[in-house]
Amino acid sequence: MAVLLVVLLGVGLVALVAWPLLARSGAGDGSVASPADIERQRVEEDLDRALTAIREIEFDHRAGNLSDEDFAALDREERARAVELIRRRDALTEPGSPQGEPG
Amino acid sequence: MSLLGRAALLLAFAAAIFAVAAALWSRRPGQRRWQESAERAVYGVFGLMSLGMGVMWAGLLSGAFELRNVADYSSTTLAWPFRISALWGSQAGSLLLWAWMLSLFAAIAVFTNRRRNRELMPIVVAVLMGIAVFFTSVLSFVTSPFETLAVVPAEGRGLNPLLQNGYMMIHPPMLYVGYVGLAVPFAFAIAALWTRRLDTQWIQSVRRWTIVAWLFLGLGILLGGRWAYEELGWGGYWAWDPVENAAFMPWLVATAFLHSVMVQERRGMLKVWNMVLVVLTFSLCLFGTFLTRSGVLSSVHAFGESTLGPYFLGMIVAILAGSLALIISRLPDLRSQNSLESYISREAVFLYNNLLLVGLAFAVFWGTIFPILSEAVRGERITVGVGFFDQVTLPIGLALLVLTGVGPMISWRKASGAQLRRRFVGPLIAAAVAVPLVLVITGGAGHWAANAVFVIGVFTLACIVSELWRGTRVRHQLGGVSWPGAFLQLFARNRRRYGGYVVHIGVVVLMVGIAGSKSFASEGDLALRDGQRGEVAGYTIVNEGGSRGSDEHKMTVAVRLGVFKDGERVATLDPAVNLYRVSQQRSTEVAIASKWDRDIYVVLVGLTESRLARIAVFVNPLVGWLWAAGLIIALGALIAVWPAPRPALAPVPGAARSGAAARGD
Repeated sequence: MAVLLVVLLGVGLVALVAWPLLARSGAGDGSVASPADIERQRVEEDLDRALTAIREIEFDHRAGNLSDEDFAALDREERARAVELIRRRDALTEPGSPQGEPG
Repeated sequence: MSLLGRAALLLAFAAAIFAVAAALWSRRPGQRRWQESAERAVYGVFGLMSLGMGVMWAGLLSGAFELRNVADYSSTTLAWPFRISALWGSQAGSLLLWAWMLSLFAAIAVFTNRRRNRELMPIVVAVLMGIAVFFTSVLSFVTSPFETLAVVPAEGRGLNPLLQNGYMMIHPPMLYVGYVGLAVPFAFAIAALWTRRLDTQWIQSVRRWTIVAWLFLGLGILLGGRWAYEELGWGGYWAWDPVENAAFMPWLVATAFLHSVMVQERRGMLKVWNMVLVVLTFSLCLFGTFLTRSGVLSSVHAFGESTLGPYFLGMIVAILAGSLALIISRLPDLRSQNSLESYISREAVFLYNNLLLVGLAFAVFWGTIFPILSEAVRGERITVGVGFFDQVTLPIGLALLVLTGVGPMISWRKASGAQLRRRFVGPLIAAAVAVPLVLVITGGAGHWAANAVFVIGVFTLACIVSELWRGTRVRHQLGGVSWPGAFLQLFARNRRRYGGYVVHIGVVVLMVGIAGSKSFASEGDLALRDGQRGEVAGYTIVNEGGSRGSDEHKMTVAVRLGVFKDGERVATLDPAVNLYRVSQQRSTEVAIASKWDRDIYVVLVGLTESRLARIAVFVNPLVGWLWAAGLIIALGALIAVWPAPRPALAPVPGAARSGAAARGD
């Protein structure tokens, strides 16, 4: 009984890992996103971080943790990054854009 | 049962090897299918390791004494919760738990990144499964938890009585969550180096992993201290034992990493340093695992002699050498984007904090391995005493406590003199007021170190409170919300920062607890017959009668003690000694009466036939603060890792042009 169970385990394991290799192209890709989706997701996440950083910088300035001069420099840097990321996101979502274009 | 367990481990070993090979192969052009196959192999490894754990637990619960691990660490008389925890009472069982957790975390990492970090994931999978190959090979070919006995005994030898304790049930798994959890940031760091994707993406991907692993490692250490306090009966909770140190070192370096990543995220600096910290943290986790298993050092927490040492040492050397070679090869990509503009800035404070934490970790490392080195060099084992560790830790600990308060108050880039004066005048006044109060409460300047901790603690707490006050005021002005609403919004909007401040409050409470309990403890030995009384530290202890009893597991000797202060009964304590039938081992059952400001801790040393009870009494101030600190730190860490809502761009006065641009107008 135990031997049969072990054989079944082995067969199950081989089937599990071999399925994406043997299945027709596209099948078995259900859990893996396309390169375009991945790139869009990455840009979205970067944008979230840039927006968070802008909020934090502004908050630090108001709380007195940043001088006016440092606030202006850091804020300019982060906003420029956010603008660039918004452009990249828009380019990735425009119809006919080169899907999966690396960032 | 043995066959199924062994087969599960062997199949997991094979699947892990396949996962490494397939993940690396998937990086070739047009081979993306192999990535999915490798990731499925990770799930396979997790399933198989879970089966192995299930088989081991089934063996322990059903008393399958044909398995050596079951016969040596459990018995039919052992309560079922301890049969479950007996799994990590043995060398092989604890490695099985390690490997199972690794497979679980690898599966979680793969699942949560199935649509993210796709460029990094093949290397992440290869690294995590490479580690799994090591552990499954050790479990399959060196020390199997499913080894069988030629002659099956009718009864097992039972679990060491010291391990039959609630804290010991959760302390090792928590430590392992910490150790193993830190493998994930390590894997992401290696992946970032390998793929040259060295922006802050990998750091942000592992931030929560690191905080959670750091928290569990810290709580595991604290619970280990609590176990030692309750179970070992020497009145203390920390003895700079090699195994305690082994868990403390990666925790210190991980703490440094959690701070220095903020500098990289905000200023693009310390990139090489962060990589070194991640590698060092995980290597120290493996070193800790090595120390408990190699037999090179003796410790109450360690397993006995074994042949595992060289394997672990080889693994640690391979990881250190490979990682450092990779870091060196990527040095041009790891250049800082900015430089340190002032030695009085937030990033400089983080740097000082890092140097102190890593310096402390190094000192602890040196003190821990010195006996091994001295034996290797001079043929004589020289043990490093508690004095060395206390001497090193005290100044570094005080400096760290100061920085805990100072850091969040100082601006990024550089701080002006006027800003510093504005910021620190309040906390300095609070500290100045605290000096006479502390001297009065502690009875003078005799305990200067503890007094310094108390005063600096007040300063740091005042810094944190003033930061919270300033933040609440800004939020109140910005949002037009009530003061309590503004305070809550503060945490809701920047969980990482304010969760961190809560952790800092916990650190202050912890340091005060350590200082109080180490500097102001009193102890006394008493020998009392029935009805006799003795005095220790102002408490009167009355022997109210001894007793002897037994059940199917053990024989027990106990004594009832009344504890009085100024004629009032403050506690009734029942310290005892158990003698376990199966193992013939003796275990001390300490009795503790805890209050917020002190513990009365009593150990029964012996009870003679003539009913003379020999007892040791300790009065330990502020020990409860340590356990409370653990809860505060856990709360802060939970706040810090709790997912935040997605941000929206706030309008900033004077930034209309760039704001408009950011909105895409």
